[in-house]
This record gives sequence, structure tokens and C-alpha cells, in this order.
Amino acid sequence: MEKIIYAIIASNHGHTELIGTMKGIQGISGSAIYVLSFNDISVAVSDFTPSKYTINKELAIDFARVIEELSQQVTLLPIRFGTFLKSDKNINQLLINHYDSFLNNLQKVENKYEFGLKALWDYEKCSEKIRVKAESEAVKAGDYFSKSTIHTNYLLEKINKHRLEDALLKHVEQLIEEISRHLAQINPDCKFKKMVTRSIILDAVFLVKKSKKDDFIQAIEALKQQHDDLHFLLTGPWPPYSFVEITID
Amino acid sequence: MQENVIDQSKDITILELLDRVLNKGVVITGDIVISVADIDLVYLGLKLLLTSVETMREKHLAIVKTNQETK
Repeated sequence: MEKIIYAIIASNHGHTELIGTMKGIQGISGSAIYVLSFNDISVAVSDFTPSKYTINKELAIDFARVIEELSQQVTLLPIRFGTFLKSDKNINQLLINHYDSFLNNLQKVENKYEFGLKALWDYEKCSEKIRVKAESEAVKAGDYFSKSTIHTNYLLEKINKHRLEDALLKHVEQLIEEISRHLAQINPDCKFKKMVTRSIILDAVFLVKKSKKDDFIQAIEALKQQHDDLHFLLTGPWPPYSFVEITID
Repeated sequence: MQENVIDQSKDITILELLDRVLNKGVVITGDIVISVADIDLVYLGLKLLLTSVETMREKHLAIVKTNQETK
């Protein structure tokens, strides 16, 4: 029987109290969760045999449910779905070897929620506006070349395409600056991904103090009102999936 | 998610949730992790699902936008 691990947990009040806190939370597929501890950190584990028949979308969602329920009781670092270890001994060794890293990350996310914010636009419509502006500044053949040939036309096309991409990117960067200014009072940790797809121009995640949750939601609502050309998708609160920076080889 | 599911769309919530459990969190690899035959394929399948849902969502939003404009 293999072990699936769900999350690294802060157990400042001790192993026994942690077990009491987690009472009633079931693991995936109804398995029993137990806890292994080292000093003031623990890991939530259950026995599970993985196979191509048991690993599917429903199980991934069930796994997320376990992390969600745990996160309502304790501070935790979610483990990526599908991490199976051979034995409790392996897991204990993991806690010992990476204790400092786990503890630092737990302190970083303590009493905080993660929120996701995606900004989408109608690419064809919005990029057209930017394209018109970019084209007014576009390089003309005469600026660079004394005569127009297939080769110079090809180069001009490349240069102007690059200028349009640059203009789109600047537009997104301005949006990021605006969001950052807008949220300055709340001061969340944030990460931004620009131009994820043609439609999703911004994919942001925020780590917000629990006490600032309502302020954050209101601030995003106000931001939505100011941008009728964008569609904002706000999700959360989530356990701090996106703010865990630990990779163990 | 807790009580504040701001965007009520179930599909989007599931997409966001799968994105997190599959792509984020503590990553553990190496000798101590069991590599089970076929698991990677199933994992890949889940990621493909994520991509297709993403595409579906973009198309859905484009349709919604078009409908709003024609009203």
C-alpha cells in the first residue's frame, strides 16, 4: 500500500492537538488521514494504491476537497496532486531534510488566502484599437530602405509585427501597474503572467491577509467597473497553491 | 473553496481548481516518489482536459460577448 501526501502543516500546538483539529476530515476515496510530525511541522497522509483506474479527474477534485477542508483548520502548504511515497519512513525523512524550507513557506502563507484574477478581452476588437495606434507609428519602407523589394517588404512586415506585439505587451503592463496601484492599500503578494493566451491577457494570483479579504474583493469589484472592455474572473479564497516555492528532487 | 465563490460558474471553478492541484503546490520528485506505470499518461490526460476546458471557455466568452453586442 502506497502513501499519498496532501499537505505540509504547521503544528505549533503539537501533534495530538493537530489530530483533534483534523478529526472528521476524510482522505481521497474515503481513506483515513493520519499525521506524521517532526518538531512543529507535520504532513497529512493516507494509504492509497494508485493505478490508471484510480487516478482521474474526480480523484483530483476529491484531493482538492481534502486540502480545502484541511486549510480551514490549519496553515498548510498543498502538495501537488499525485505524489505517492513508499513508506512513512520516507515521509519522515522528507520532513527532516526540508524542515527549514517548509517552515519558511508556512510562515509566509500564515493567515493568508490566495485569490486568482484573470483578465480577458475580445482579442480581435481590442487589438484592433492598439493595431491602429501602432500602425500610425509603423516603420515605412522609405525610413530604412532606398527601394522596396520582396526582401525589404518581408523585413518591414516582421518589424511592424514586432511593434504590434510590443504595443500589446505595453498595454498589459499598464494594466498591471493600474491593478498594483489600485491594491496598494491592501498590499498583497502578487504574481502576474502576461498574455497567457490571445484572450487571457493577464493571469494574476494574490496572497491576501485574511483580515483584508473583504477589502480585496471590493477593490476588484471597483476595478471591474472601470474596465468595460475587459472581463475579469475573480476566484477564491484558495489555499495558497501558487505561493509555495518548493521543488524537491 | 470556502463561502466566497465569487464567480459562480461551476466550470470555471473546477478549471481553476484542477489548474492548482495539477500544476501548483509543493513538487516532490526523485527516488522517494513512486513512479507508477501509466500514472504519467493519466496525468497528461488531465492536463489535456485542462487545456481543452480553457479553449472552451475562451470560445464561450467570445459567444457571450457577441450576443451582448447584438442585443
